[in-house]
Amino acid sequence: MALLQISEPGEPTTAPESRQIALGIDLGTTNSLVAHFDGTDIHVLQDETGRAALPSVVYYGAEETAVGFAAEAFSGSEPANTVASAKRLLGRGREEFSDDPYLTLTPEGVLAFATAAGEKTPVEVSSAILTALKCRAERQLSGAIAGAVITVPAYFDDAQRQATRQAAALSGIKVLRLLNEPTAAAVAYGLDADSEEASTLAVYDLGGGTFDISILRMREGLFEVLATGGDSALGGDDFDRAITDFWLTELELAQPSVVQRRSLLGLARRVKEMLSAQQTASMDCHELGLSCEQLSLSRESLDNLVSGLIDRTLQACEAALADARLESVDRVVLVGGSTRMPRVREAVAACFGREPLCTLDPDQVVAMGAAKQADVLVGNRGEGEALLLDVIPLSLGLETYGGLVEKVIERNSTIPVARAQEFTTARDGQTGLVVHVLQGERERVEDCRSLARFELTGIPPMVAGAARIEVTFRVDADGILEVAAVEQLTGARSEVVVKPAFGLDEIQITEMLKASYEFATEDMTARQLAEARVEGEGLLAGLQSAIAQDGDLLSADEVQQLEAGMRALAEVLVADDPQVIREMTDDLGRASEAFAARRMDRSIQSALTGVSLDALEDNKAE
Amino acid sequence: MSARDYFALFQIEPGFHIDMAALERAYHSLLAQFHPDRFAGKPQVEQRVAAQLCADINSGFRTLSNEVARAEYVLKRAGVDLAQAEREGVGTEFLMMQITLRERLEGIDSGDPSQRQALMSEVEKHYSASRDAFASAAEEARFEIAARRWQEMCYLSKLRDAAPPRAA
Repeated sequence: MALLQISEPGEPTTAPESRQIALGIDLGTTNSLVAHFDGTDIHVLQDETGRAALPSVVYYGAEETAVGFAAEAFSGSEPANTVASAKRLLGRGREEFSDDPYLTLTPEGVLAFATAAGEKTPVEVSSAILTALKCRAERQLSGAIAGAVITVPAYFDDAQRQATRQAAALSGIKVLRLLNEPTAAAVAYGLDADSEEASTLAVYDLGGGTFDISILRMREGLFEVLATGGDSALGGDDFDRAITDFWLTELELAQPSVVQRRSLLGLARRVKEMLSAQQTASMDCHELGLSCEQLSLSRESLDNLVSGLIDRTLQACEAALADARLESVDRVVLVGGSTRMPRVREAVAACFGREPLCTLDPDQVVAMGAAKQADVLVGNRGEGEALLLDVIPLSLGLETYGGLVEKVIERNSTIPVARAQEFTTARDGQTGLVVHVLQGERERVEDCRSLARFELTGIPPMVAGAARIEVTFRVDADGILEVAAVEQLTGARSEVVVKPAFGLDEIQITEMLKASYEFATEDMTARQLAEARVEGEGLLAGLQSAIAQDGDLLSADEVQQLEAGMRALAEVLVADDPQVIREMTDDLGRASEAFAARRMDRSIQSALTGVSLDALEDNKAE
Repeated sequence: MSARDYFALFQIEPGFHIDMAALERAYHSLLAQFHPDRFAGKPQVEQRVAAQLCADINSGFRTLSNEVARAEYVLKRAGVDLAQAEREGVGTEFLMMQITLRERLEGIDSGDPSQRQALMSEVEKHYSASRDAFASAAEEARFEIAARRWQEMCYLSKLRDAAPPRAA
């Protein structure tokens, strides 16, 4: 996908002088945030009333749609139409279908929320939240958004990452990179820069409704996820409930009304927050019709109330450490609003034997790290900038005979990665083969997550075990998987980009984009034409300077062929047909692939001798 | 899948004994230049070629940085038929020793970490012996022997990994 740099037709495309606007987005279970790095500072963008966090709640009424606080207001009156915590179901299939009365399956078998505005998939709900954040950024930064880094939990599998990308595509956001949340927190603290020596890091993330612990190892920009753990149903909300239950017991009120209970939960949260700074706190409650005018709590009793909950998080920390085969870590970072509680900080410090880093706002630290990385990726900073490398969190493999999983790419492989493995047929005369792609660490198919299933046909009939079928797995820098199977004798080939059966295909996304209000007013063709031209012009400019620089790598024939292709592309660039431009660009791209590969091989030499190849870049910028 | 020679890719002297620090330096500087993130705004053809190159760099590093995988790569590079070597197998004596070690591992009292530690250091000793034997055989181009030592390394490293993790 091309960057949306729109220039006047006929005008030469030059490298933009101004900074590209890039966003960091923390798409959370409870709250979502958007941040922007302006070259000096990171700004977490706020709404009109000065609130940074957007509740991850969307209201789908019969008449209107609302996002955030406006949507939360409907949670009491219209719970079925008010969707919260959609992230829990993002990228999940029908196997997660529960007896939740608000959930349904679409005719295509996709999990969705049944609302007054129709069935809404978790991808659509997430997209509504992303759109709201994007609009906030566009208003405040007054400009088109070049792209965004969106954070995901480290344990998100391929399907969940794909779903996140789809939600972004639906919102018209170019995803520069999906970044693991704990990695983003480490980047916000600048821990990626000062790690010449390998060091280990624990990220303790206690949010409103979920708890995650991640153990990372980092070294010169390489972040390796050693272990993850947590509890998807444990967070600050449980603390509020514990306080509420405590008050109800004290008041001897066994059957509070719905309104009373909700009001008490709100007071409990406020009291909990006040107790982070003071020893006792009390709230006025005379409006609740209780047997008292005031509710109060001391920090000591709060600590007692939540100690069991905190212990559960510490057990998960111990387990994650053991899983990572570590005794201790070099640093601890706190994420999530609940880590403001002094008792939580003490417990974490005691558990890891060191003081946690908490100078940045724990609610905003993930979005801040994402914004910093987005700025690097969009090209606002020099080439020398530290690179952020990720690993795939879970192994990828294939189903083999007997329902077993053969791993093709091991977990913790640095991405991008490609690996091929040979398989053979199990029966005499077998002409087809089902390739079943799985993700997970366990040995049996039923214990792993099924990602895709496709068929290779056209295998010539042979005795069992004679056919040679090479299956290649490729994972790109976002952790997204492509699988191809080739029968070696005949070259019969079949491939699939893993698009799990949870959501939408490309066509549906395009349709929805067209239908969505935001794009209805925009001329889709003009947009596509501009995108196609940018890509085409970029290829032409790149090839021109490449031939000038490395023309000696080509034979005279090859130069002629390339130049003919370049003239043909230049001709269609001035025409108004994005489809033709795209096709010609793709053709020329394929035709110049071998040249690009030779040039990179040549530059490997200079990369290792420390000579910069940026002479080429300088030529272009002149 | 890729015919790229990993030693040439990282510009280190081919062979089992390698300068690990040099490998890591080369790995990082190659990634720093060719990671797809560096090609975010470039034409798609360059992005594709860079992604493939990076996949090779990552596979190469994973192969060369791990002793067992590196040994296997040294053999493959010398044209040794590994499938044939596997059919020939390791010696009976080694097999028996390996089975004994495995049985002892299974019989270990999990409440006594010193038992496990003792066994593990014994496995480690056997592994080092096979590795050193592999290295000298490979150096002298006696690949039949090297292939056998490599298989011993495979068995022993699996045994090492199969050991239950330290009690939490």
